[in-house]
Amino acid sequence: MERRNFIKSMCAVTAVAAVVTPSALLAKGAPKGGNVLSYDAAVAAITGGKAVTDSSKVKLTVPEIAENGAVVPVKVNVESPMTDANYVKAIHVLGTKNGNARCADVMLTPLNGKGYFATRIKLGGTQDVVALVEMSDGSFLRAAKPVKVTIGGCG
Amino acid sequence: MATARKSMIKFKPKKFKVGDTIKVDFIVIHPMETGTRKDKKTGKIKPAKFINNITFSLDGKPFTTMKVWETVSTNPYFSVNLKVLGKGKITVDYTDNTGEKNSKSKKLKPKG
Repeated sequence: MERRNFIKSMCAVTAVAAVVTPSALLAKGAPKGGNVLSYDAAVAAITGGKAVTDSSKVKLTVPEIAENGAVVPVKVNVESPMTDANYVKAIHVLGTKNGNARCADVMLTPLNGKGYFATRIKLGGTQDVVALVEMSDGSFLRAAKPVKVTIGGCG
Repeated sequence: MATARKSMIKFKPKKFKVGDTIKVDFIVIHPMETGTRKDKKTGKIKPAKFINNITFSLDGKPFTTMKVWETVSTNPYFSVNLKVLGKGKITVDYTDNTGEKNSKSKKLKPKG
């Protein structure tokens, strides 16, 4: 019986989730666990529709094959003088096929000295990891690398 | 799980001078629960619990702020650079989605 009830409640939850559109979720602001924010929606939310260019200035270091999707080290290095006039404003780390595409937004200041950020993220499956970098002049740079995941980390 | 939450700040390299750019590593012991996983014993969904805001500050002045989602690994690690301009105190404040607040600080002591 318990299982039956559980399935019923799950159905109800998915029905509600289907009604709530991603834009409504965005408007809510505070992210709740398990919300669905697709990669395209996340990019649009970050850039606000501005053009994003692929750049060799952004160096993204990820493993080619991740044995465990729960712990994938990600390193982002951005070439920048980091002066008051020209610095890396923000580094966004995204996964293209995760339930929630956004992993981390890092707002940097010239005091950082280098455009660098490293962390460990979860990946639900084989996908691209994307580093989206906002420079102080408002331009967006991008670097992406595929990561092969043998065991997913969001299960 | 009512575990004592711990966090740690590390400077890399350990010895540094004024003018050097060092790495500031911040490690937290935190479950980073996504809110989609089921508890195998009870069959209920574990509520989401993840860090969503982190502020790195030097002498009370923030130099890096982060917004983080549940897609960051359990016991997260964050690393940023800092240009050392003199003595100071690094403080890292973090909040999670349940409103829990914590902070950790460490003195910055450049040599030479």
